[in-house]
Amino acid sequence: MRTRAILGSILASASVLIVGYQAGTAVTTSNGSSISLPIGGTTAGSSGSGSSTSAAAPAATGPSDGTYTGASVNTRFGAVQVQVTIAGGSISKLDALHLTNADGRSVQISNYAAPILRSEVLNSQSTRVSNVGGATYTTQAYLTSVQSALDQAGA
Amino acid sequence: MTTQVRTRATNSHPQPAATNDYRRGYSRRARRSDLFVMMLWASGAAAAALFLASGGAAQFGSIAETLTSIGIITGLVGTDFILVMLVLAARIPLIDRTIGHDRAIAVHRSLGKPALYLLLAHGVMLLVGYGLSSGINPIAEIGPMLALPDMPLAFIGLGLLIAVVVTSVVAVRRHFSYEGWHLVHLLSYVSVAFALPHQLSVGGVLADGTVQRIYWIALYVLALGSIITFRFAEPLVSSLRHRLRVAAVTEIAPGVTTIQLDGHALRGLGASGGQFFIWRFWTPQTWWHSHPISLSAMPTESTARITIRELGAGSARLSAVPVGTRVSIEGPYGLFSEAARTSPKLAIIAAGIGVTPVRALLEHAAFAPGEATVLLRASTPEETYHWDEIRAIAEAKGAACYSMIGHRPRRGDSWMAASDVARGVTLETAFPDLADSDVYLCGPTAWLDLVEAEVRATGVRPEQIHAERFDW
Repeated sequence: MRTRAILGSILASASVLIVGYQAGTAVTTSNGSSISLPIGGTTAGSSGSGSSTSAAAPAATGPSDGTYTGASVNTRFGAVQVQVTIAGGSISKLDALHLTNADGRSVQISNYAAPILRSEVLNSQSTRVSNVGGATYTTQAYLTSVQSALDQAGA
Repeated sequence: MTTQVRTRATNSHPQPAATNDYRRGYSRRARRSDLFVMMLWASGAAAAALFLASGGAAQFGSIAETLTSIGIITGLVGTDFILVMLVLAARIPLIDRTIGHDRAIAVHRSLGKPALYLLLAHGVMLLVGYGLSSGINPIAEIGPMLALPDMPLAFIGLGLLIAVVVTSVVAVRRHFSYEGWHLVHLLSYVSVAFALPHQLSVGGVLADGTVQRIYWIALYVLALGSIITFRFAEPLVSSLRHRLRVAAVTEIAPGVTTIQLDGHALRGLGASGGQFFIWRFWTPQTWWHSHPISLSAMPTESTARITIRELGAGSARLSAVPVGTRVSIEGPYGLFSEAARTSPKLAIIAAGIGVTPVRALLEHAAFAPGEATVLLRASTPEETYHWDEIRAIAEAKGAACYSMIGHRPRRGDSWMAASDVARGVTLETAFPDLADSDVYLCGPTAWLDLVEAEVRATGVRPEQIHAERFDW
């Protein structure tokens, strides 16, 4: 009887774990794509801000001056949305409209990662910046949102 | 009085059941018991699996991430164990009927330290994991951690849990009175309550709005619901319904007292001979102390009886409770009864105050004349409580009844009286049918361990042995 209980326990636990892990990796794949492409939350994004003046300067090769609201990118820790201001053809200001905030820990991570991301993007004038350790989701969503704003600006 | 009790109980006897019924009953219990064990482990695995399934499986990229993920898993599995422990301590009738109160509590105890270690690992690994990801050392991470909402409560909860587990370690527990220990143990409820908010707000694990959330809420409802139902509501209703009062208190030997109780619809308690209740006597001196005590006779519709020996200060005061005292009860509990039968015959060995459940068991048990053998054991002639009653029942039902008075031999580890060992009495000579018998053993732990070892050595299967140890 003991043997039956032990074997049954091992079998039940192992199968539960395997199913959980399989389900988890399936979720990951779909999550991964939602980070590189803002398919999850483009509803609020891509609508250019009212102060946008991009239409006035179609001939310019660089980004047009103005303020652009990036796409809202959903992550499992909450949505991220960034507003980008272009002045004199370069990125002059970044405002985080929304950051990962699903739980207390996410808020803490956002508060720590957002200033680093902002200064790195301002320094490099691009979204090609390195990942902020411990804030992978926030980094990827932040950069995706910034990139979508830059796309609107025609950069 | 005794005669009347016996006559009534005899009338309500089940017919001696066929061996097949015992075997079938046992394999049903064994199946259920195995199923419970599987559920215990599977619930721990499910705690981890649900985390992996809802995105956790992706959280093993870096060392910091891996540590954080493992930290979360240890927290979830530890919490699962704590909730399982609550379920085991809730005295759920189905669990009591399947494995008995003693084993449920034994499993509860064996989970205590693993649960604490898992939750300590949870705290440490998250401090290290969070610290690594923000580039500070784990000690410095305590500050930001405490700044998170609900985290101070969670730290207090863990502190309380440490206190609960440490006071339950055998070596430490010995220094506490039962009440002192119990009071600390009640803090485990506070600990669970304090830990809950941070699971909802910090981990985000329960707030996901997924299967995981449903699973955890169901587990909490099951654990706390069964505690409320079976530890509080059901005993209260039962006590109000049966309205037990002390009818008579009689000292039958120095330090040994029978308490006769009056009540209503006591058959409705569904008690089997050999089971125990947890009793509370509502006098100003005794109400705060509850006592697990076996029935020493089968209850009639309106009367019940227990027999107690003064072991601690609490039970000494019981022998002085006035007639008319209200009594509240929790129970019946335990598998030291007919419900545990596996074999056609009965072998019963009891010592000292351990004769009390045996007295009720023999009265209630189903057996044909010649199928039961009782051995009563005492160190001195003064400790032969209720032996006259047991002999009378044995005679009426056709059971053989031996008695053995005297101290154990100085050398060797015999549980018998020295004089009987010298005469050549052995377990086999007293119980020639041991292999076909259910063996019920009841007495002080040290003595009982010796008997049980000897019974096991004869090759009797473990499920045939039913032991109840008398000490807290």
